[in-house]
Amino acid sequence: MSLNNAMLEKYRNNFLQEVAGNVEQGDWVKMCMQCGVCAGSCPLGDAWEHSPQKIFMMIRANRREQVLSSDSMWMCTSCYHCVVRCPRGLPIPHIMHGLASYAKRLGLAPKSNPTLWFAEVFWNNMLKKGRVNELKLGLSLYFKDGFASGIKQAMAHQKLGINMLKAKRMAPMDMFAGHAIKDIFGLHKMIRKAQEIEAAKLEANSK
Amino acid sequence: MPDYDKKLGAYLCSGCGIGDRLNVSQMETTAKRDGKAAIVKTHEFLCSKAGVEMIRKDIDAGDVNHVIIGACSHRSKVEAFRFDRAAISRANLREGCIWIRPYTDEAQQTTQEMGDDLIRMACAESRYINIPEPSGEQELNKTLLVVGGGMTGMTTALESAKAGYRVELVEKAAALGGWMAQLHKCIPHRMPYANPVATNIDATIAAVNAHANITLHLSASVAKTEGAPGRFKIEIATEYGTSTTVEVGAIVQASGYNMFDPNNVPAMNHAKSADIVTNMELEALAKAAGDGPIKRPSDGREVSSVIFVQNVGQASEAKGHLPYHSGIGDLIAIKQALYFKTQNRGCETTILFNHLRTPGAAGEDFYCSGQNYEVTFRKGIASEVFPGSSLEVQFRDMILDEDTSQTADLVVLDVGMVPNSGPDPYALPLVADKEKGAAPVFEVTLDSILNLEYRQGTDLPHLKHGFTDSHFICFPYETRRSGIYAAGPVRRPMDIHQAMEDATGAAMKAIQALENAGKGRSAHPRSGDLSYPLFRKEGCTRCKRCTVECPFAAIDEDEKGYPQFNESRCRRCGICMGACPVRVISFDNYSVDSIGQQIKNVDMPDEFDEKPRILVLACENDAYPALDMAAQNGIEYSPFARVIPVRCLGSVNTVWITDALNSGYDGIILMGCSKGDDYQCHFVKGSEMAYQRMSQIADTLQILSLDAERVVTYEVAITDIHRAPRLINAMAETIEKIGMSPFKF
Amino acid sequence: MTEVVATNHTILVVGAGISGITAAVEAAETGNNVVLVEKRPYLGGRVSQLYKYFPKLCFPSCGLEINQRRLSAQGGISILTMAEVTAVSGSEGNYSATVKISPRFVNENCTACGACGDVVEAEFDNEHNYGLNKRKGAYLPYNMAKPQRYVIDPRIIGTDDAEKAKAACKYAAIDLDMQEQTIEFKAGAIIWATGWQPYDANKIQPYGYDRYANVITSVEFERMMDKFGPTGGKILRPSDNAEAKDIAFIQCAGSRDRNHLKHCSRICCMATLKQSTYITEQYGVDDADAKGTIYYIDIRSIDRFEDFYRKVQNDPKISFIRSKVANIVQDKDQNPILNGVDTEGYHRYENRHDLVVLAIGMEPSVNKDSFPLEIVINEHGFIEADEANGGIFAAGCASDALDVNRAVQTATAAALRAVQVVNRVAGSEG
Repeated sequence: MSLNNAMLEKYRNNFLQEVAGNVEQGDWVKMCMQCGVCAGSCPLGDAWEHSPQKIFMMIRANRREQVLSSDSMWMCTSCYHCVVRCPRGLPIPHIMHGLASYAKRLGLAPKSNPTLWFAEVFWNNMLKKGRVNELKLGLSLYFKDGFASGIKQAMAHQKLGINMLKAKRMAPMDMFAGHAIKDIFGLHKMIRKAQEIEAAKLEANSK
Repeated sequence: MPDYDKKLGAYLCSGCGIGDRLNVSQMETTAKRDGKAAIVKTHEFLCSKAGVEMIRKDIDAGDVNHVIIGACSHRSKVEAFRFDRAAISRANLREGCIWIRPYTDEAQQTTQEMGDDLIRMACAESRYINIPEPSGEQELNKTLLVVGGGMTGMTTALESAKAGYRVELVEKAAALGGWMAQLHKCIPHRMPYANPVATNIDATIAAVNAHANITLHLSASVAKTEGAPGRFKIEIATEYGTSTTVEVGAIVQASGYNMFDPNNVPAMNHAKSADIVTNMELEALAKAAGDGPIKRPSDGREVSSVIFVQNVGQASEAKGHLPYHSGIGDLIAIKQALYFKTQNRGCETTILFNHLRTPGAAGEDFYCSGQNYEVTFRKGIASEVFPGSSLEVQFRDMILDEDTSQTADLVVLDVGMVPNSGPDPYALPLVADKEKGAAPVFEVTLDSILNLEYRQGTDLPHLKHGFTDSHFICFPYETRRSGIYAAGPVRRPMDIHQAMEDATGAAMKAIQALENAGKGRSAHPRSGDLSYPLFRKEGCTRCKRCTVECPFAAIDEDEKGYPQFNESRCRRCGICMGACPVRVISFDNYSVDSIGQQIKNVDMPDEFDEKPRILVLACENDAYPALDMAAQNGIEYSPFARVIPVRCLGSVNTVWITDALNSGYDGIILMGCSKGDDYQCHFVKGSEMAYQRMSQIADTLQILSLDAERVVTYEVAITDIHRAPRLINAMAETIEKIGMSPFKF
Repeated sequence: MTEVVATNHTILVVGAGISGITAAVEAAETGNNVVLVEKRPYLGGRVSQLYKYFPKLCFPSCGLEINQRRLSAQGGISILTMAEVTAVSGSEGNYSATVKISPRFVNENCTACGACGDVVEAEFDNEHNYGLNKRKGAYLPYNMAKPQRYVIDPRIIGTDDAEKAKAACKYAAIDLDMQEQTIEFKAGAIIWATGWQPYDANKIQPYGYDRYANVITSVEFERMMDKFGPTGGKILRPSDNAEAKDIAFIQCAGSRDRNHLKHCSRICCMATLKQSTYITEQYGVDDADAKGTIYYIDIRSIDRFEDFYRKVQNDPKISFIRSKVANIVQDKDQNPILNGVDTEGYHRYENRHDLVVLAIGMEPSVNKDSFPLEIVINEHGFIEADEANGGIFAAGCASDALDVNRAVQTATAAALRAVQVVNRVAGSEG
């Protein structure tokens, strides 16, 4: 049984409890009083389909599919405007990221979401050497939508690139290998272990 | 009426500019010659210790017993000019004269005339009043009657008993406790506001039972209430046909409420499923379950999901619904949701609310506690509940902006409180409608609670929607029946905690009422007034106006139809005095003569003097202070006005108006408080009554061939500091236009 | 030297707002001896600063007039103004209270003639109007101030102004050498009725009360309506004194908020509904520009106030938006612009108004860190009824966020609790 099905089976009608049990800081969702100050405070508000407060209401109304497949929580830039104003002190960005992460694990996250795509590229990039290879990260962003548009994007940012080279903010040789951190294997081991622990927790939660 | 020789002493102050602006020695002469004051003295600073001492010496020496103070307003320096065993009259030379006139040579003469008139008026008043003394009718009875043995009634009884008073407690049921005894638990009212708390009702009942000062009457009701504060006679009848009579000094009515019938909202289908219950019915289920799982009535299955539908038939103008809100339904729903959650955290509980009404510190914390237990709060308005083995609630989710539905094992309807207040003495049409078969707006019990043997009906008047609340924000215990106080949800929807506070406050008022009745002192707002209505039976025509119009139902009728005054029910407003066409009602310190003679003692210039006279009768609580404050702020008005404060515009007898017109006044202004639904009249109906009576003055004016504009009535608030003088000036202008009264001598 | 006749049969009432006055008159009219202590130079508290009451829209000064008359009519009440209780010792039935009385520099000779006020030049922020205008250094706090006695601001002592004031007084009422005094007296029971204060609006950073002239608080708005208030009864924008016609009301400004006051202040919903009627009162029904917008989370118009809510809902000039406003910015003309989301269906707004009124929260004035005796004060700062409190009873907003009606109810109840104590004392003395 897929993890998603297992969770569905386990929590049946109670998405609020599922969120409380599996999403980072998800336990806070129940405390929302639906004032909407988070929605109004979000600088990216216009870009969201559902505001945080509305997502919290949807969670309580058992709109599981709708919530987990939403791209709204992927919009959060952690500016913390909402947190400082929330009258109930909900750690809203954490919950947003937690929900996004949970959706991804269940395989319900929106496939073509650019934030999700970027997060994956970033993560994979970082994992290789233990630090971000900015050149490769930049290039993969340029070429996200194919070769032609990649060239176009790169040309558009030509001046910036040259300036960064001059200022030694970008190392062209990173194209080939790049610096790794001292104990890259140690890091990989740590991450594997963390992933195991998390997976086991989710697995256990789904029973 | 006290029997003594009146010795008038007039004391004039020349301070505060009075001596600069007015010829005080001329006023001394006026007081002596026109005012007939035996002693006349002037002091440059009358309210000073030396000035007051000068007056006190004359009183102590027996030379003076009626004091006329010619200084500042009746409202100023009250403490300085308070003398026991002396009648006090005030001539308002400062706020009422020099402060409202310009300090110019041209104004000098008219200002002086005003000052002299004020002295004449105060002396006239002094000659026609008496020092009030208790009638001797008063009785001190330190026992209270408490009607209702619920939490409110029991609290009233216990708190009164604790203060050393005796209580007769009457409860309709066979046991104490009321609705409280039917509750599983209560809303917390102490920190932490987290969980439902035990009712502890048994301890309260035990305390009532154990208290030596409390006598219980169970399965009993009040069959008859006669008398007045200090000397109520109560017949208590039991279900078994026995009856006892007790005598009490004051009464607290704590008759509580009934639950609204959810069948008035057919879409809730309360009658169609045993699993659609009211909040009160849920208490019984919770109580039966003890601390175990709550089972549903239809099949005894443990409830695993429950929906609370809030505001059923409340705050709604629809027929058969309650136009108000109980205010505590959301707190009850949270409490009840926690019955389920504390027992089974997995139970799905949803509260469909519109505005979540959980006010105060306790409310907000309790709301958080509900959320903490994962109670789901949805801003949703339910339209229908469908019965079935799984109940379905259809509603509009206001946040998600859609019509939707949800299913549950049990649905709890938040129904409101309907006051158990007895029939409203002034709402007879409702009874008539019922007899005609028309459905009343909602069912109010028509069984009397108090069975008052009062001329004006058997029970406390309702304020709104059947509740017997006070009309006054500042005075929440005013009931329009002296010495009878309502407490708890019969007067306003409230929770237990508030009801217990209310009960304690009502006990205080009842104790105060019986103590003051024992001394012959009036209750609020003329607290402490020792006068009482005096009645000259010989002149009475038995027209019944006084008995009908008394806002406090203080006056009954004897078997021959003569008014029967009950002085401790009386608030000394004088509305009966204003009502009496033959002028047989008066008070020692306020009478048709005490005002009428002030009107007559104003010096009336002749027609060719071009000095009109405008009589202003101003409510002493609002219009008069407004004029005082105008003076304080240097706002001027016509020197032709002669202002007399009255207790209430309702005390104005039309004879004052006709006499004034006949003696040559050119205009008359009545200033009272606002009337209507949101009336501000402290004596309820006084202002309205005055309007009614003045509308009849039009005929008199016609007979006298006088213009209708010469007599006007205004609603004037205490804040009308600019407007009140404007109204006077407008009358002066009117007179200029229409000319002087032809009735000058 | 101020002297007070008090015994352990005396009831001490601390605070002479509507609750303290009520407790004092109810106890005194039942035959008890009362000492009423007030920090301000005059009685009436916050009620004296209100324009109207909900739901009747009547004037608080009307009831205050009656209550002040009741206070004067009673021989059994001693009133101390500019006085604060600094220490209490003893126990139920036998307390000893220490009261510090600040100098008024004006004695009881004062006739409130106003001569001193005329000659003094120095001006200070007018506390009665929350600093919206100035008053003289010798002043009568407001028209109905009881006692009707002027006050000399201590800041003019030692200046020419003080000497001028003294010279102008014909009644030897000004005593510039008056000193602070401390008196001690007995009491059997104590009623604590110290009321509330508006929450500090400067702390609500997103609403810019500290930065934007045209963002004011509800208590200030109330003062504007008073014809003797800072704007002469007109609703004016502080930035340019232009008439404010399009007015926004923001609910829960400082209440129901963990960043500010956690509790719901109970009164603000009704207060705003009341204040929304001021718009029509001021501009009439026909002025199309005059309108109000109420931003709210829940409208808590409890029980029979529901009628009033419905009346306002039916007023075409007033609209409701279910939203906690996120923040306020202002445009070049200093018009406040409100940003937020209407949560009923998720609609963003960016609304320009002439004036914003913050329905400011109610903070108890009980000093929980330095209460003179051991007493139970909850985390919100309210005094809780508890047997451990002995003969000290809270009344009004010292006990909870309450409207006037309920404050008076609790004050009447507190009066009985105090009477129980002194009656017990009297009983035990035989």
